[in-house]
Amino acid sequence: MPDVDAIVVGAGPAGAAAALELARAGRSVYLLERGPFPGSKNMYGGVVYGRILDTLVPGWWDEAPVQRWVTRRATMIMTGHQALTVDFRTESWGRPPYNGATAYRPDFDAWLAGKATDAGAVLVTSTTATGLLRDGDRVVGVRTDRPDGDLTADVVIACDGVNSFLAKEAGLYPHTDPANFTVGVKETIALPREVIDERFGVRGDHGVDYEIVGCTGDVPGGGFLYTNTDTLSVGLVLSLPALAAGGTRPEELLRRMKEHPAIAPLVEGGEVKEYSAHVIPEAGYDMMPELSCDGMLVAGDAAAMCLAAGIWLEGVNFAIGSGAAAGRAAARALQRGDTSNEGLAGYRSRLESSFVLADHRKLRDAPHLVMSDLAQRQLPGLACGVAERMFRVDNPEPKPGLRRILRQELKRNGVKVRDVVSHSLRALRTFG
Amino acid sequence: MQVAACVKWVDLRPEVDRVHGTVRSVGGPGGAGWGISEADRAAVEVALQLGAVWSAPVAVVCAGPVGAEPVLRELLAAGVDRVVRVDTGADQPSHAAAVELAAVLSAGQLGADVVVCGDHSADRGSGTVPAFLAHHLGAAQALGLVRVEPVAGGRVRAVRRLDGGRREVLEAAVPMVLSVEGSVAELRRAPLAATLASGGREVEVRPGRPAHHVEPPRTRPWRPPPRVVPAPAGDHALDRVVQLTGALVERNPPRTVELAPAAAAREILDQLRTWGYLGADGE
Repeated sequence: MPDVDAIVVGAGPAGAAAALELARAGRSVYLLERGPFPGSKNMYGGVVYGRILDTLVPGWWDEAPVQRWVTRRATMIMTGHQALTVDFRTESWGRPPYNGATAYRPDFDAWLAGKATDAGAVLVTSTTATGLLRDGDRVVGVRTDRPDGDLTADVVIACDGVNSFLAKEAGLYPHTDPANFTVGVKETIALPREVIDERFGVRGDHGVDYEIVGCTGDVPGGGFLYTNTDTLSVGLVLSLPALAAGGTRPEELLRRMKEHPAIAPLVEGGEVKEYSAHVIPEAGYDMMPELSCDGMLVAGDAAAMCLAAGIWLEGVNFAIGSGAAAGRAAARALQRGDTSNEGLAGYRSRLESSFVLADHRKLRDAPHLVMSDLAQRQLPGLACGVAERMFRVDNPEPKPGLRRILRQELKRNGVKVRDVVSHSLRALRTFG
Repeated sequence: MQVAACVKWVDLRPEVDRVHGTVRSVGGPGGAGWGISEADRAAVEVALQLGAVWSAPVAVVCAGPVGAEPVLRELLAAGVDRVVRVDTGADQPSHAAAVELAAVLSAGQLGADVVVCGDHSADRGSGTVPAFLAHHLGAAQALGLVRVEPVAGGRVRAVRRLDGGRREVLEAAVPMVLSVEGSVAELRRAPLAATLASGGREVEVRPGRPAHHVEPPRTRPWRPPPRVVPAPAGDHALDRVVQLTGALVERNPPRTVELAPAAAAREILDQLRTWGYLGADGE
C-alpha cells in the first residue's frame, strides 16, 4: 500500500499546478521542494503570462503577487553602437484580464504553491528527491535526502526543473545534447519607482519588457530588460557550448550590454541587488523527453516545456499548463486504478490538444532560426545599417533608394540574398 | 534537567545601508526570506546533543510571529520535545525579546537549566540577548563559543573565541546560558516520517507584550563647555592672533617615557595631579 496517491517533485509553477489539480480531485498528494520555500531556487528572465490561470485560479490577477503589468513590449536589435527598436504599447494590457506581468519568482511560486496546500496538498520543503523507487520497470516512489526518506505513491510527477535527474533516471531522456541548452544570467538592479516610471514612460503598475538581439558578442543568444516595481531585471540568455568554447564570462557580456548607449541610460545609477544564473531548455519540441512511463509523468522545464521562439519567450505559462494537465491526467488514472504508461497516456493527449504541445510543435524550428548565424551576427548589422542609411540625410547628395541601401548593406554585412530568402521561407513556415 | 534553545525569527537577508549601517527588513515577517539564522540552528543542535547526553528533554523557545510556526515544526521533527512561540512580533527590540524569553524559560514555566542561543541574529544583531537572558535567569554565561562538549554532572567544557585568533577554554555548570557560533554544529536532518507528521504537532503560544520600538540613547564625543575669554588687546591683527593662540608663550614640551605598567600608571596619576585633574587622595 503506497504512502500517498501522488508525489509531485518540485514546487515551481508546474509542480504547484499539478498538486493543485490532484488535491482538488480529492487525491492525497505530497509536494516536495528542495528549497526552504517554493520559488527559493527559481529564476526567470521574462514575463509571466497568466491566461492559463483563468481556469485554475479565477480572478487570479486580484491576488497574484505581481510587480508590474506589461503594457509595453519592445524588441531591440543592436550592434556595438546602434539600436533599432520596435516598440508596442497598449493600455488594454494594463487592466483585467491583463496579458502578462513581471513578478518575483519567490513570491509568485510561493503564492501558487499556497493554492495547492489550501486545496489539501502537503508541502514538504528542504527535501530533495535523490532518486526513484522502482518495482521492476514501474516507478513506485522517490528516495529523498532525509533520513528514512523513502516515499511511495501510485504516481510520481517529476517537475524537478531543467536537467531533471528523475526523468533521466527513468530513461525518458535518451541522450542530452549541451547544444539544446542555454544559460540565463540576470542582474536585479534597484532604482526608485519614479525613476523607472520616468525612464520607461510608464505610470502606476504598468511596466515594460524589452527583448534584445545582437547584444551577446560572439556568443549566440539574446538579452532582456524588464521593469519591476522598484527594480529592473537585466540579463542575457547565452548558448552553452559557445559560451564554454569562447571563454568569455557571462557577467562580462552582461556588463558590455549594460554599457551599450541604448541600455546605459536606462540602468545608470542603479544598485545591483542580486546576480543569478540558470540553465534553460532552449531547443523546445526537439529536445522533449518521453512524457510518461509506468507510474511517472514529467512536466514543466523537466520536460523542456520552455518556449524560446524569438518574439515569444515563455516558460511559466507552459509549466503551469503542463503541470495542470499532468495533475488532471494523474487524477483520472488514479480514479481508473491504472497508473501504467497506458493509463497515463491521457497526459500527452491533453497536451496535444492544448497550447503546450501545439505551440511547441508549430514553433519547433524557431529556436534554431533565432540562434542561427544570420539572426545572431548578420541581421542586427543589416537592420541597423539600413535604418541608419534611411534616416541619414546626405545633402547635397539626393536620397538613395531603399533597394540600393539594402543591396549595399547586404554586401557590407556579408549577407547572401539566397540565405535571406531561405531563412525568410523557414520563418514564414514557422511563424506563419 | 531541562535544556532549552532560544531562536529568533529574523529576515535572513536584510538590506544594510552601506554608509550608515542601518538594517532594513525586506517584506513582512511572514516573507519568504525570513527564518532562523545558522547560529540559532547550531544552538538547537547543541541543545539536542546536550539533551541526549544528559537524558534531558529539549525545548525551543522562539520570539516571533505566527509565520515562524512551519520552521518551528521542522525543529519538532528534528527531535525537539517541545516548542514555545512567544508572540512578540518580528520587530521586537532585543532587550524586550530577552525579557519575554526569560519569562518563559524561568522556573515558573519551563524551568530551563541550560539555555543555548545563537551568538547573534542574522539581522546584524548585537548578540546581547544571551547576556540579558543570563542576567534575568541568574545564570552563568559563556558566550561566543566555537566548541561545546558536555561533561558529566551538568557541566560543559567550551572553547570561546577571543581577539587575535586566540581561544579561551572554560567550564560552566548549570544554570548556564551558552551562545554559539553557526559553525559549532549543523542542525540534523529530520527524518521524512517525522517531517510529514510534524504538520499536526502543536506549537505552544505565549502572548508577548505589544512590540514597541526603543531608540537607544545617542552618545556623542565629549566636548568641553565653552569658556568666556577676554577679547585680545593690541592694535595689530597679528598681535591679537598671537595673544589668542598663545603661540609665543613658553610651555613644557611633551615627554615620552617608557615604564613598566605599574610605574606608568603611577606616572599618569602624578601628571593628572600636577594638572589639577586629581586631588592628592586620587579623587
